[in-house]
Amino acid sequence: MLGVRNATLALSRVNERLFFGVIGFVGVLVVWETTAQLGLYRKSLLSTPSAIWRAALTDFANGSMAPHITTSLSEFAAGFAIAMAVGIPLGLLIGSFRRVDYLFNGLLAGLNATPNVALIPLIILVAGIGYEAKVVVVFLSAFFSVVVTTFTGVSTTAARHLDITRSFGGSRWLAFRTVVLPSTFPFILSGTRIGLGRALVGVVSAEIISANQGLGFYISLYGTFLDTARVMLGIIIFGVFGVVIGEGLRILERRFEVWRPDLHR
Amino acid sequence: MTVATSPAFRTIHPRVRKPRPALMRWYRRNERVVLSVAGVVLFFVVWEIGSAAGFVDKFFFSSPSAIATAGASEVTKARFWDDVRITALELVVGTGASVVLAVPLGIFIGWYRRLSLTFDPWLNFFNALPRVALVPLVVLWFGLDWNMKAVVVFLGGFFAIILPTVEGVRTVERHLLDVSRSFRASSRLIFTSLVIPGTLPFIVSGLRIAVGRVLAGVVIGEFYAQTQGIGVMIYKAEASLQSDRMLFGVLIFTVLGIVLYESVGAAERYFQRWRPVREDEA
Amino acid sequence: MTIDVAREPGQHMALSARGVQMEYRDRQTGHRLLALERVDLDIPDGAFVSLLGPSGCGKSTFLKIVNGLILATAGEIKLHRVAKGREDAMVFQDAALFPWYSVVDNVAYGLVCAGVSRKEARSRAVPYIDLVGLKGFADKYPYQLSGGMQQRANLARALAVDSAILLMDEPFASLDAQTRELMQAELLRIWTAARKTVLFVTHQIDEAVFLSDRVVVMAARPGRVIADIAIDLPRPRSLEMKQTPEFARYEAQIWKLIAHQQPSDTAPVP
Repeated sequence: MLGVRNATLALSRVNERLFFGVIGFVGVLVVWETTAQLGLYRKSLLSTPSAIWRAALTDFANGSMAPHITTSLSEFAAGFAIAMAVGIPLGLLIGSFRRVDYLFNGLLAGLNATPNVALIPLIILVAGIGYEAKVVVVFLSAFFSVVVTTFTGVSTTAARHLDITRSFGGSRWLAFRTVVLPSTFPFILSGTRIGLGRALVGVVSAEIISANQGLGFYISLYGTFLDTARVMLGIIIFGVFGVVIGEGLRILERRFEVWRPDLHR
Repeated sequence: MTVATSPAFRTIHPRVRKPRPALMRWYRRNERVVLSVAGVVLFFVVWEIGSAAGFVDKFFFSSPSAIATAGASEVTKARFWDDVRITALELVVGTGASVVLAVPLGIFIGWYRRLSLTFDPWLNFFNALPRVALVPLVVLWFGLDWNMKAVVVFLGGFFAIILPTVEGVRTVERHLLDVSRSFRASSRLIFTSLVIPGTLPFIVSGLRIAVGRVLAGVVIGEFYAQTQGIGVMIYKAEASLQSDRMLFGVLIFTVLGIVLYESVGAAERYFQRWRPVREDEA
Repeated sequence: MTIDVAREPGQHMALSARGVQMEYRDRQTGHRLLALERVDLDIPDGAFVSLLGPSGCGKSTFLKIVNGLILATAGEIKLHRVAKGREDAMVFQDAALFPWYSVVDNVAYGLVCAGVSRKEARSRAVPYIDLVGLKGFADKYPYQLSGGMQQRANLARALAVDSAILLMDEPFASLDAQTRELMQAELLRIWTAARKTVLFVTHQIDEAVFLSDRVVVMAARPGRVIADIAIDLPRPRSLEMKQTPEFARYEAQIWKLIAHQQPSDTAPVP
C-alpha cells in the first residue's frame, strides 16, 4: 500500500517538475513574442522568437551556419582534449608527492585566480589569431581547473584507505592504482565539469575578440550589423551546447560511478 | 627469551630517532608555507634568468624585472589611474548589483517551490550559456561605455549567485522546516532563524564562483569595447608589442583575483564554522 | 578450493613484544606524550587475546605497530615466521572497505597486495566470503551492505591472506548492540574453523571476556599494561554464557581494575 502511494507521489513530483518547467519555458517565449509584436520595446533590442526561428531556418538551410559551428566545435574539442591529456597526469603527479604539491600550491593558486581571458592578448601575440591561438585559449581556460581538482582529489585520498594497502603489504604503485585513482575519479569528473564550462567561455571570448570564423565571430559580426535575431541565434546555440555538455557529463557520472550511492538514488 | 635470536622469527624494530637541528625542525613544521613561497619565487627567478639567457623569448614573455620597471613607470601616469578607476567602477557597480538583485530574488524564487520549477529551465540555460556570448547583445543595448561593461560584470555574477541561493533555500526547506513547524514557529521566525542562516553558506559558495566570472566579465567587456580600463591597457599594450606593460596589467588582475578569492574563502570559513570537518576532508 | 584448517596450535609464541614504547611530540606545544610505555606481551600460537582499555590507552597504536603501519620509538616485537604469506593481517575499524570495489574485490584485495593475480585472488576469496556468511553478496558494493555485513567482509579480507595472526582493531565498535552480540558469536565460530592466533582490541569488557583466552587490561597516560587475566571459561562458548555468574565475576574484576584508573585519566597531561 505504502509503496504504491510513494510511487504515485514520486510520479506526480516528476510531472509537477515537467509541468511547471514547460509552463515557464513556453510562457517566457509567448510574453517575449507578444510584447515585441505589441511594440512595447524596439525589436532590435531583443529580436523575437519568430524572427530568430526564421534566421535559424535561413542560415542552416543555405549552409552559412555550418562552418561556424564546426570551427567552434573543433577548437573547443582540440583545446579541451589537450587540457585533459596534460592536466590529469600532471594533477596526479603533483598530488602524489606531498612536497611537489606544496611547491606548486602558490603558483597554481595565482594562475587559477588570473582571469584566463586576460591572457588572450598574450596568446594572440605568440600564436596569432588563427585556429591554433583559439585552441591555446581553450586549453588554458580548462587546464587549471582540471589540474587543481585532480591534485586536490589525490591529496585528499582518505588515509584510512591508504593504510589498508600498506597493512597488507601492497606497493605504493598498487595503492596508486587501486586507491588513489578510484577515489580521485569523482574529483576528475568535477574538474572536467568546471573545465568544460570554462573552455566554452574560452572559445566564445577568443572568437568574439578576434576571429574570422566560428560562432563567437558570428555573434560579434551580426552585432555590428545590428542583426539582433542572428546575435540571439548564436547565443542560443551556445546555450544549448552548454546544456548538452552538462547533461552528457551527468549521464557519464552515473555510468562510471556505480559505487556512489548518492548518484543513483 | 631464547627465541630472541631464532631465525624462525620476524623482528619488528623501533624507529631510530636522529636528533634534528633546530632549523630542520622549524622547516618541518612550516614546510607547506616555505615550499609554496619557494615555488612562486623559483618561478619568477627562472623566468628572469631564462629571459636574460635567451631560452625564454623576451619579446613575448618579457621578464619580471622589465615588468616591474614598466609597472613603476605606469603608476606615475594619470591615464593609468583613470583606467583603474573605470575598471573598479565597473566591477563594484556590476558585482554590487548582482548581489543586491540575485540574493533576494533567489530566496524569493526558492521559497515558492512551483515558482522555482517554473524558472528552472531558464536559470539553467543562462547558467550553462557562456555569458560572454551576450557581450555583443549588451553592446547593442548600452553602447560602449562603462555601464555596458558593468552589465557584463553583473551578468557574470548574477547567475553564479542566484542558482546556489535558490538551491540553498530549497535544501533548508527540506531539512529544517519540519523541526520548526512542529514547534509552531511563525513564518517570520522560520525565515529569520532558519532560512537566512541556512542559505548563507550557499550564497557564499555562489560568491566564490562569481569572483572568477565577474573578473572574466570585466576583462572581456573591456577588450570588446576598447574604450577605457585596465583591460584596454592590456589590449593596447599588446597591439603596440609592449609585452612588459601587457603582463603588468595581467598581474593586476591576478592580484585582484587572489585578494577576492581569499576574502570569499575567509567568509566561507566564517559561515561554515559550525560544520564539523569531515575526516576525508582533513 | 577449500580452506586449509590444518594448522595445529603449537607450543611456540606467535607474538612476543619486549619494552615496546611509543612517544609522540606534540607539534604545537613540543610536549612529549607517551602513548605506550614499556609494553611486554607474549601470545602463544592459537590463542585469543584481547587488549582492553579506555580510549587513549594506546591499544590500537600497539596493533598498528605489530602490523607495521607505524614504527615504535623503542622496544621490539618478534612474530613467528610462517612458511608462506604474511605473519599478520589486520581487521580494521568501521568503513574500512573500498566503496569502489564489490565485496569479492574487497575480500581479494589482501591477496592482490601480496602479488596474487586479480583473477586468482577472486577465486581464492570466494570460500572466505562463504565462511563469514556473505554467500550471494559477492557482487554487491559496500553501500548496499549493512554495517554488520561490511564488517564480515572486512574480516573475510584478513582471513583470505591466511596469516598466522589476526589483528582486530575494535571491529564491532560501530555496530548496534544486537548485531555486535551476533558478530561476537560469529567470530568465535569462524575462529574455531580457521584456527588462528587473534589479538583483539576493544573497550567493551563483556566483549573481551566473552571472546578471549586472556584479557590484557591497559590504562591511559601513559598507555601501559596493568593486568593480564586468564579467562577460564569453557569453550565452545555461546551467548547464553554471558548470563552465568562466572562471566559476571570476570566482568566485575576487570571493571574494578579500570574504574581504579579513572582519577589519573582525568589528570592534566604532564
